[in-house]
Amino acid sequence: MLAVVSLMWSQSSHSFDLGGFLEGMAKPPPQSQPAKKPAPQQAAPQEQPAQQGDGGLLGLGESLGIFDRKTSRILKKSVGAVQAFQPIGLKEEKAIGGSLALEVFHRFGGMYKNAALQNYVNLVGKSVAEVSDRPEIDYHFAVLNTDNPNAFATPGGYVFVSVGLLRMLQNEAQLAGVLGHEIAHITKKHALQTLQRSKVLSGLGGLTMAAMDKDEALFDQVINQVSDILFTRGLDKNLEFEADKFGMEYAYRMGYYPAGLRDFVKILGQSSSQESSIFFSTHPSPSARIQALDRLLPRYKGAGLYPILARRYQSTVKGQL
Amino acid sequence: MTPKNNIFSVERTLSLLLILLLFGLCFASDSFAATLYVKKSGTKLQAAESAKSKVIAKLDQGTPVSVIKKSRRFYQVSAPGGKKGWIFKFKLTAKAPVNSGGGGGGGLLGALGGRQKIAARESSSGSSIRGLSPMSKKHAKNKGISEEEIQSVKQMEAFHVNPQEMEKFLKEGQLGEYGQ
Repeated sequence: MLAVVSLMWSQSSHSFDLGGFLEGMAKPPPQSQPAKKPAPQQAAPQEQPAQQGDGGLLGLGESLGIFDRKTSRILKKSVGAVQAFQPIGLKEEKAIGGSLALEVFHRFGGMYKNAALQNYVNLVGKSVAEVSDRPEIDYHFAVLNTDNPNAFATPGGYVFVSVGLLRMLQNEAQLAGVLGHEIAHITKKHALQTLQRSKVLSGLGGLTMAAMDKDEALFDQVINQVSDILFTRGLDKNLEFEADKFGMEYAYRMGYYPAGLRDFVKILGQSSSQESSIFFSTHPSPSARIQALDRLLPRYKGAGLYPILARRYQSTVKGQL
Repeated sequence: MTPKNNIFSVERTLSLLLILLLFGLCFASDSFAATLYVKKSGTKLQAAESAKSKVIAKLDQGTPVSVIKKSRRFYQVSAPGGKKGWIFKFKLTAKAPVNSGGGGGGGLLGALGGRQKIAARESSSGSSIRGLSPMSKKHAKNKGISEEEIQSVKQMEAFHVNPQEMEKFLKEGQLGEYGQ
């Protein structure tokens, strides 16, 4: 507050260079050298700063002569960059995720009709979601009626695992790791990030319910694009590694043996269901994933004796399949 | 005296003022306690570092708390209103809520505009939003998705876990607040 007041009362004859001042604060000045002119600001490649009126303090600052023209240009570019990046809101995210949930049921066998199994997967999934980085949204879990080992997450909190995958797992810690991985895709908004970078949304300032309502073709394109990502091409491999990292972390936070996910990926790698599982076409290889997960395990060395809950898993799941 | 020769030049004075301001902010609280924020509404503030202890209060999402002490899985905190208690540490985050301290249009951050819009778009209550909007249903119809599949998504969304059942599940598994 004092700094702002000081800025406003500085005499115009001193023409304070805020942009240079901020850059000078950030970098230590080289010793015994005269002060250099600050390097010109460059926007990141994907940023399209909007040329809009900025109003607020920027306009006031310029009219009072507090910011010189160069500083004002720098600040306007920053404002534009922020305004160009309108993240997809929760309402829109759930509309997209709900439509994709329909696609998942349609393509992968529908819902497996067993209330006890649905209940159990929801208990494990919702408990892991509670300690995730985005616990405030509603998460929904369902079991798919297919023998192929598959798991999916769609934006807005929809998570699916197949009966085939549940048959492969040996304990609850492994289930927690798998669900943690899918939850991480949602907490980190991987599908939405990928969608925002795609051609479908290029030229748009944002994606709103109003825009999608008005333009049915736009909504169709959005759903088709994300379907392609989730079911065919797969997400960028770095995003899969990130989901593994946070899947392991979330399971650990809930108190599960953290290597459950790693153990599942090992089982998957040894399985003969490789051709029928979407994991192999849309994820990094099991060996690459195991290597990456093994590198992370030392940070959890105090959790070696955390529960795996094999008995609870076997009695609940195997009894229902 | 010219500005160049004056050790109390405007730039130096402003630099000093800014440093003092930042320094003052660091020392603003009574103690040097870290401030964390509650991740989700309904988070329990408990009398002791145990899931079985009495619940003193339930805190809303975004509530700032000052950490007094840390144990293996719980933090002792001071909450607004002077309440003190223990919270399971993974229910807290160092990340301030998006719309905290944003205020109206004032402040340099307010001038950026986008931050306020982001806060508004992200703040919608998840429980009041359902994915199967009329738009989703129309899209589904065009894609040949069956009524049974639509009902499956609705069933998925409507499924709620009984809180007592969740407590029993965590307790028996020694998970979450019941972890050893």
